[in-house]
Amino acid sequence: MIQLFWAELKRSWIQYIRYPIEAIGGILITTFFFYALFVGARYVAGPTSQFGERLDAVVVGYVLWTLVIFIVNDIALNLQVESQTGTLEQVLLSPFSAASIFLARACASFSLRFTSVITILLVILGLTGSRLQFPPSLILPFLSVVLGAYGFAFLLGSAALLFKRIQQLLVISQFGLLFLLATPTEEWQGSLKWLGQGLPMTAGAGLLRDVMVRETGLDGLRLLLSLMSGVVYFVLGMVAFRWSVGVAKDRGILGSQ
Amino acid sequence: MKTLEAEHLKKSYRQGGKEVQAVVDVSLTIAAGEVLAFLGPNGAGKTTTIKLIAGLIRPDAGTVRIVGRDPHREPQVLAQVGAVLEGNRNLYWRLTPLQNLEYFGVLRGLKAKTARQRGLELLETFGLMEKREVAVQTLSRGMQQKLAIATALIHRPALLLLDEPTLGLDVEAAQTVKSLVRQIAAAGQAILLTTHQLDIAEVLSDRVAVIQKGVIIAQAPTQEFIRHFAGTDCTYSIELEESLDGERAAQLQSWGVVVEDTHRLRFTGSSEQLYRVLERINPLPLLRIQREEADLTHIFLKLLKKGNQEG
Repeated sequence: MIQLFWAELKRSWIQYIRYPIEAIGGILITTFFFYALFVGARYVAGPTSQFGERLDAVVVGYVLWTLVIFIVNDIALNLQVESQTGTLEQVLLSPFSAASIFLARACASFSLRFTSVITILLVILGLTGSRLQFPPSLILPFLSVVLGAYGFAFLLGSAALLFKRIQQLLVISQFGLLFLLATPTEEWQGSLKWLGQGLPMTAGAGLLRDVMVRETGLDGLRLLLSLMSGVVYFVLGMVAFRWSVGVAKDRGILGSQ
Repeated sequence: MKTLEAEHLKKSYRQGGKEVQAVVDVSLTIAAGEVLAFLGPNGAGKTTTIKLIAGLIRPDAGTVRIVGRDPHREPQVLAQVGAVLEGNRNLYWRLTPLQNLEYFGVLRGLKAKTARQRGLELLETFGLMEKREVAVQTLSRGMQQKLAIATALIHRPALLLLDEPTLGLDVEAAQTVKSLVRQIAAAGQAILLTTHQLDIAEVLSDRVAVIQKGVIIAQAPTQEFIRHFAGTDCTYSIELEESLDGERAAQLQSWGVVVEDTHRLRFTGSSEQLYRVLERINPLPLLRIQREEADLTHIFLKLLKKGNQEG
C-alpha cells in the first residue's frame, strides 16, 4: 500500500504541475475570490466597521470549504472523467481492490491539496490581517472534517460511477458544503444542536472555530461526537463506493460514457 | 492447465426497458504462447467477452479461470492479466511514457524500482526510448498504441487481451504492432486478439474463434479452420492469349463464370466444373491459369452469411 500511495502521489503531482499556469491560477483565483468577497463586505459595512472574530471565523470556514471542494472534486470529478476516457478500467485491472486504490489516491490528493490550501490560507491571512491560532489541539477536529469530507466525496464518487454525469450535483453540493462548513452550528440550541452534531463535517468545523478563533479549549464530548461523525461518514462513503463498483460491474458500465 | 479457460459465459443488460443479450454462450481456452484471434462483426459481443475475462464486467453465468483462478473471486489473479481496450485511452495523457509504465507497474503489484527498470527495457524494445520524457498526448496514435501494449506488459502477465490493437493505425504502425504480437507470443504469453483486419488475424493467430450474436459459431486452429470451412470449391483465375467470342462468353456466364474482359475469366467451383469450363474454352490458347488460396476473410464472411440465414 505504501508503494501504491507513493505512485499515486507522484502521478497526482505530475498531472497537477504539467501545466503550471493552471495550477497557480487555481490558487490565485480561490484566494482572490475570497478577497473580493471580503472587500465587498467591508464596503457594504462601512469604513469604521470591525469584523474581528467574525472575520477569523469566516476565514476558517472559507479555507475549509476550499479544501473540501478540492477533496470532493479529486475523487468524484476524476472518477467521472476517468470513466469517460477509459483509464478507470485500466486502473481497476489491478490485484488491488478499487477501495484500496482510491483510498491511496485520497491520501495522495490530500497531501497535495493540503499544501495548496495552506498557501491559500497564508495569502488570505496576509491580505485581510486576520490572526488565527494554530494550537496542536486543532489536529483532531481537523481530522474529523477531513474524514467527513472523504466520506462525502466517496458518496458523490459512487453517484459518478452509476450515473456518469454529475456536474450539476457537484455544483449544488458546493453550496451545501458552504452551509455545512461556515454555519456556526455550535451556537445552535435545543434539538437543533444535536442536528448540527450529526451533519457531516459541521461539528469538526465548529470545534476548529473554537480552537483557532475563540481560543477556547476543546469540549471532550463534542470532540468525541465530531470524530464519530467523521468516521461514520467515511465508512458510509467507502461502503457505498465498494457497492457502486460492484453494481457498475454488474451493469457493465464501468467504462461507459 | 491452460492460461485462460472461460466456460459458458453469459451476460445480458437492460437497455430502455428491454433485455439485451450481449453474450449468450461463450467458451474459450488459450494455452501459454498461443494467439487466439477472436473475430466477429460489430456488436457481436467481443468487447463484452474481453471485459468479462478481465473482471471488469460480472457474468450472469459461466466461469472464468486465469491460470486456474477466478478473477471475479480472487482479484489477485489480475496480476496475470494485461489488456489494451478498444475505445479507451488506456494511458494518462499528461504523464510521459516512462511515468505511465512506472505508475501502472506499481498498480499491477510491482515495486517502484522494478517497474522503472522494466519500463526502460520495454521502451527500448518498443522503440520509444527517445520519447520517454514527452507527454503521451503529444505522441502519434501509433506510438500511443505501442505504449499501451508495453504498459499492458509491464508486469509480465500470463494473459494479454488485445482489443483491436491495430485500429486506426497506418500501415507501418500496424506492421510494428504485428511483429510485437509475434514477439510477445514467442515469449510464452497467451494472447486473445480481436481485430477486423482478417489478414492480420490469419498471419498472427494459432487458433480462430468466431462470435456472432453472442454465440461462438466456430472455433479451430487457424489453418484447419480455413481448410475445413473453405470446402472443396476453389476460385480460379484464367487468362487467355486470344479474345473470347460472344457466344462462348454468354454460355460461360450462364455457368457462373465471371468474364472480367475478353481475355480474363474468374470462376469458383469444383475441379470437375473447372474442366467443363476449360473444354468450352478449347481450342483458344491459354496464357495462365491459377488457383487462388482460400483466406480467412472469405471464410469469415461465408460463416456470418450462413449464421444470419440460420439465425
